[in-house]
Amino acid sequence: MNILSYYLNNFDRIISALEVHILIFSVSLIFSIIIGISISIFVTQEGRKKIGRIVLSVMGAAQSVPSLAIIALIFIFVGIGVKPAIIALVIYGLVPIIFNTTSGILSVRPNIIEAGRGMGLTQNQLLWRVKIPIALPVIMGGIRSSATIIIGSATVAAVIGGGGLGDFIFIGLRMHKPEMLISGAITVSLLAIIVDYIMAKIEKKVVSKGLQIKKT
Amino acid sequence: MIELTNVTKKFGNMTAVNNLSLHIEKGSLTMFIGPSGCGKTTTLRMINRLTPFDRGNIIVNGTPVKDIDPVELRRNIGYVIQEIGLFPHFTVFENIAIVPRLLKWEQKKIEQRIEEILELVTLNQSFAQKYPLQLSGGEKQRVGLARALAAEPEILLMDEPFGAIDPINRLKLQDSFLEIQEEIKKTIVFVTHDINEAIKLGDKIAIINEGNLIQYDNVSKILSDPANEFVENLLGQDRNIKALSLKKAKDYVLKDGFITVLDTESHESIEKKMKEKNIGIAFALDKNNHLKSRFVLEKATKIKKQKFIYNPVPWIIERQNNINETLSKMLEAGEKQLPVVNRKKEFVGIIKLSNIFEEVNKKTNISRGIKLIT
Repeated sequence: MNILSYYLNNFDRIISALEVHILIFSVSLIFSIIIGISISIFVTQEGRKKIGRIVLSVMGAAQSVPSLAIIALIFIFVGIGVKPAIIALVIYGLVPIIFNTTSGILSVRPNIIEAGRGMGLTQNQLLWRVKIPIALPVIMGGIRSSATIIIGSATVAAVIGGGGLGDFIFIGLRMHKPEMLISGAITVSLLAIIVDYIMAKIEKKVVSKGLQIKKT
Repeated sequence: MIELTNVTKKFGNMTAVNNLSLHIEKGSLTMFIGPSGCGKTTTLRMINRLTPFDRGNIIVNGTPVKDIDPVELRRNIGYVIQEIGLFPHFTVFENIAIVPRLLKWEQKKIEQRIEEILELVTLNQSFAQKYPLQLSGGEKQRVGLARALAAEPEILLMDEPFGAIDPINRLKLQDSFLEIQEEIKKTIVFVTHDINEAIKLGDKIAIINEGNLIQYDNVSKILSDPANEFVENLLGQDRNIKALSLKKAKDYVLKDGFITVLDTESHESIEKKMKEKNIGIAFALDKNNHLKSRFVLEKATKIKKQKFIYNPVPWIIERQNNINETLSKMLEAGEKQLPVVNRKKEFVGIIKLSNIFEEVNKKTNISRGIKLIT
């Protein structure tokens, strides 16, 4: 009951924190996608397969670095505020995107690429019309986990002044106000679930039907 | 059409192709055969510049390939590989449309062409909207061929296209491939490691070993006159029987000695017609000329009355079946004559056991100087 009444009394504050949270999340995710996919494309170009594999193992290891460590590092070098928070989230969100995009592109079957080259597709056409569309289910998987991670880490980023729903959790923690803490936690969890649902829908839409059918 | 002159390719210290010269004629089906690693695939891939060559010259249609932009060159040469490499995210339509779209054909022309090409490879039009994952191995292969032929290239390069198909379907694909080639008359270079396939399909065979061209000649010439022991071993002990397989059912098709009727006609009227014309065999065809059933009117003997037999599922011979296959089917069916159809299952005539034996007889007389008792 306490939580509900807190929620209703502070609805405006929660909504504006949610807005900040969504803003930080969206900006970070968009940068992560653009930078992550660009890096993956760069390291998977013909003749750079070795670099691609190295990047894969580095990213595999990087996935186990806690978000707090990155946020703390960024705090040391960039300071406090929304910008450092976004920088930290972009870097952290890059990891699954680069990992999945790189491995997705590298695992397109060589005979498909060979057939494409043999038909006279240029390197660019091979990349955009063949490799990326075929790797898209894996790439979308990376973007989805990146989205979930960014929403979660954005909560932690409140410690370096990122704002958003993390404020409720940390202030609630410090001031021994469980209803405040729980309101923030519930809202951020709902946000994560809804975003993942939307992402799943988008994935279904953009991935070719030919890649979604089960072999009969 | 394709002229290779002193072409050499080295991978590190290994010479993959050594000073190879070869002239491939327009409209011919040339088979490259040899053990794995002999350089046949490398040679094929040098023609469309998928593999660069170190020395020598390759001229396609009068122009050295080195002077043509590789992307441009490849769009004008059809290419089929063993695993086909259909794009799984594209429908059959989109897969076939790849090169026409690269060449910026109009949508209408593309649609027309795809309808035509599906017909050519005997795939139902409904396949256009399917995805590769929904196709069987043989169907994928047909789509692969359709894709390579889509933009009407004059040259087709095929790298063991039937290698991954099970033996029964492989024979069927080979038959219909031959019929298609009869229709389109492309200049085809076809890599295989299967000597039977080389003999069955090829106009000419180029035998390659360790990067060297060992023998290049018409199939019959190679069978009758192998250049050395290597070729003899490749052909096997039974090369005389293989030579027989050069003859196809289509060489023996007879257009008389039977009558054709519509499959809608009543059995009585068919029987009457056969008696009137005094012909013992009738084939019922539908409107599309597809063979539906067979009728036999057995001659009356002293002890047996004349018998009228209706055969709803007759044995058939495909035009491209070679004599070995034809004979084996006849023996299995216990028939002295069987109907012949083309790849679209259209009735073309009949083939008689006696005609085939005449041929065998002739051959044996010529090559061995003995007479076969028949």
